[in-house]
Amino acid sequence: MTDLILLLPELVLVGAALALIVVARHVQSAQSAAMWVVVAAVAAVCSGWAFPSGGPSAGFGGTIAGDGYAQFFNVLFAAIAALAALLSVRHLNSEHVRPAEFFALVLLATTGMMLAASAMDLLIVYLGLELMTLCSYVLVGITRNKAISNEAAIKYFLLASFASALLLYGISLSYGVTGATDYVAIASAVSEGSLGQHPLLLVGVALVAVGLAFKIAAVPFHSWAPDAYQGASAPVAAFLAAGSKAAGLAALGRVCLVAFAPELRIWSVILIGLSALSMAAGSLLALSQTNMKRLLAYSSIAHAGYALLGLIPGTPSGASATMTYAFVYAFMTLGAFGVVIGLGERGEDLAGYKGLASTAPGTAALMFLFLLSLTGIPPTAGFAAKFAVILSVVRGGHVGLAVLAVACSVVSAFFYLRVAVFMYMTEPQGLTPGRLPVGVSAALAVAAFVTIIGGMFPETFTAWTVPP
Amino acid sequence: MTTYPILTVTTFLPLAGAVAILLLNQRLARWMALATTVATLAVSVPLYLHFDKTSSALQFVEAVPWIPSWNVTYGMGVDGISLPFIFLSVLLSVLCVAVSWTAIQMRVREFYAALLVSETAMIGLFACTNFFLFYLFWELMIVPMFLLIGVWGGAHRTYAAVKFLMFTLTGSVLMLVGLIALLYASGSLDFQALAHTTPRLSLPVQAWLFVAFLAAFAVKVPMFPVHTWLPDAHTEAPTAGSVILAGILLKMGAYGFLRISLPILPDAVQLFLKPMLVLSAAAIVYGAYVTLAQTDIKRLIAYSSISHMGFVTLGIFTLNRNGVEGAILQMVNHGIITGALFLCVGIIYERTHTREIADYGGLFKVAPIYSTFLALFCLAASGFPGLNSFVGEFLIISGGFRAWPWLGAMGVWGVALGTTYILWLFYRVVLGDVGSGLRGPSLDLDVREVATLVPLVLLALVIGFYPESVLGFLRASVTQLLGAVSGPGEIAGRL
Repeated sequence: MTDLILLLPELVLVGAALALIVVARHVQSAQSAAMWVVVAAVAAVCSGWAFPSGGPSAGFGGTIAGDGYAQFFNVLFAAIAALAALLSVRHLNSEHVRPAEFFALVLLATTGMMLAASAMDLLIVYLGLELMTLCSYVLVGITRNKAISNEAAIKYFLLASFASALLLYGISLSYGVTGATDYVAIASAVSEGSLGQHPLLLVGVALVAVGLAFKIAAVPFHSWAPDAYQGASAPVAAFLAAGSKAAGLAALGRVCLVAFAPELRIWSVILIGLSALSMAAGSLLALSQTNMKRLLAYSSIAHAGYALLGLIPGTPSGASATMTYAFVYAFMTLGAFGVVIGLGERGEDLAGYKGLASTAPGTAALMFLFLLSLTGIPPTAGFAAKFAVILSVVRGGHVGLAVLAVACSVVSAFFYLRVAVFMYMTEPQGLTPGRLPVGVSAALAVAAFVTIIGGMFPETFTAWTVPP
Repeated sequence: MTTYPILTVTTFLPLAGAVAILLLNQRLARWMALATTVATLAVSVPLYLHFDKTSSALQFVEAVPWIPSWNVTYGMGVDGISLPFIFLSVLLSVLCVAVSWTAIQMRVREFYAALLVSETAMIGLFACTNFFLFYLFWELMIVPMFLLIGVWGGAHRTYAAVKFLMFTLTGSVLMLVGLIALLYASGSLDFQALAHTTPRLSLPVQAWLFVAFLAAFAVKVPMFPVHTWLPDAHTEAPTAGSVILAGILLKMGAYGFLRISLPILPDAVQLFLKPMLVLSAAAIVYGAYVTLAQTDIKRLIAYSSISHMGFVTLGIFTLNRNGVEGAILQMVNHGIITGALFLCVGIIYERTHTREIADYGGLFKVAPIYSTFLALFCLAASGFPGLNSFVGEFLIISGGFRAWPWLGAMGVWGVALGTTYILWLFYRVVLGDVGSGLRGPSLDLDVREVATLVPLVLLALVIGFYPESVLGFLRASVTQLLGAVSGPGEIAGRL
């Protein structure tokens, strides 16, 4: 019974999702369904306070952790689900998507994310991530009558199932060598049996890293992201960008720092490669994008690289930096997507931002704020997060990587601020955009609040980052 | 001493004003901006009155814990080196609001809000006492400047704004890496602690950090050869933007050398001394020759800034009292004179809509008051005795001769060229026959514009006749700075 308390947030979300499915036929209003998701998310966060504080924080035979790490990510995932729900109301109405099904999938995907963050066992992590990804396939393709969505869903499905297979293969290899899927058992088996150099274990570590790198869209396992984001509706893309990345990072943090802690040398080399490639390729490829969702997809790839920086030294403070980054990135990217969603059709094309500062100054100012934060210019949260991860790689002795990171952020400034140039420095085109829907305004307000407060008082959120 | 946090109030009052302007209606924006800048000027007055000139310590100090995990405090405080720039910032901001009164007709609220945000960034940069805040204000300055150039600028404003942004951002992110490495190596970002209490860094570390910071400072100054953003940005920016750029933004880089490179990385400074001096001399002479070739008034003044800022960096890296004091004085002078020249260009451009020198001529016949002001500022810019620039250039050149006679010679050459281009400009614009571009009902100044220019005239005269009015503030702090950079043993011999 005490074990179940550790899963309370997940259980609350599953319950909410099941309830939605049961009454699906009668749910007509996307707005009330979205409110249901928000309520469920808040309830899930509150149920997290029931965690035993001080007592043993692992249950189910040590496979589920109820520590501060899990709690931090539970709060983050709940917030992502709530904001994504607020952002998707108008889209569901205009595309005639059944709200109950959509939101049930969002809730279940969030459950999977939470499970991945609390997992202390490779199989549970696999379970959580698969739950998330399975729901995501459907979410990407939920607008069935749109060819581009179908194409995106198929691409995403094929690539993601391949990556899942690799992850599973890696898990089985490391099980074969260590005889365990439990993190703690793996770590002790590796260090006691001095299996550090065992070739099969190295392959296993590498395959697990590949499977997780896919979830966070790190180069060279990123190719699904631009197509999936572009083909999916903007709210789904926002949910994937913020949620899938945070879930992958949460899982990766535990796997690296707990399970494969004795293998630090191997996976830090893998992470350095992934991180450097992601930052460079993401920033450079984003330069030529004219579709906003695609641009934000490449930006999310670059940010995967920045977030990984914190894990490279394998220290608790570095892991905290990555947690901060995942947290801040979720809000600023949800904010940027929120503006895209708020502007409707014109928001998806770069040219739609021409002269926005004259026709909709408030929306333009919010977009500018999120873009500055994504670039990493103070005093925004994006800067504080970037500072934290760069500080941790410098502490780890990788100054070259730090220089690469800031060089990439200069490149990224070029494409982020090109949007600002369009908004502020060109003449308006087309109709004046209408008022933002209430849900979008609320979500943008929350995202902007976090972006500003996180920049001015970085400790507000970093105080909650408990490394695994 | 005051009991309230005077530096915080001075720094953030403009930001509060900017928020208020965005909430107010369009018509009140100008008055609100004027009220805010004047209030900021008034609030800052006790700083100058109660400043203890005999002390080199930080004064009006405020320190509040802020980000303990990075050992960063919110620290404010001024010494003799930063105080003149705070005064310059608040004064030029008032004048910028005044000169934009009729020139800016589009998106007035946003314009003044951006101007006020940049004022906060300027004051904060000079008032902060740790590197983290320094970086914050440094970056905060870029954003409103980017908008000022790109939204309210001239025909090629977008190009100029993006170029400005990319240059300065490239420099400043390298500074960020340096800052983080410094935090890692020393465990502190407090300027005082870094200069005096933390153990001195090894030479290779210092050298790398020097290069990282140089990237940021050299772009801002700008030093030859990373100056190419400056002519575009200055020329395309609206008048107020040009004044802020020339008056304050360029000083940030030189201030960075004084506040960070010299005291914190003294060994690296000695290592890079000769290259820095050579680059400075190159900027002086190259800048002056390029200036001679310009046909656009604003571009001409922009290029002259490169030459003038070459004097400043030259003075700083002579590492002797004359040179450094002259450099700081010349930074103030350049802010006053170049600010004034940009104001003059902006005022006449508003009437004639041309900046081509060829369109002008005989301005004295149609605008005598304007021409008199312009004459005075041109004389000041050329280093005429009795006006402010003379003292600064004299000090820098004498410091240059002492450090390395070749430098003094380069400086003299630069002054000669400077006199040539500025007086030639004056000749072509003000004297001779009335130019083809000078049509218009009334070309001469109105009361608002006279009031805008008069404070700068007064300052030029006061500093010219009584340079001690600025130098008196500097002395104690410069002594301490030179002591930190050359070591206690050497200082007696150097002075």
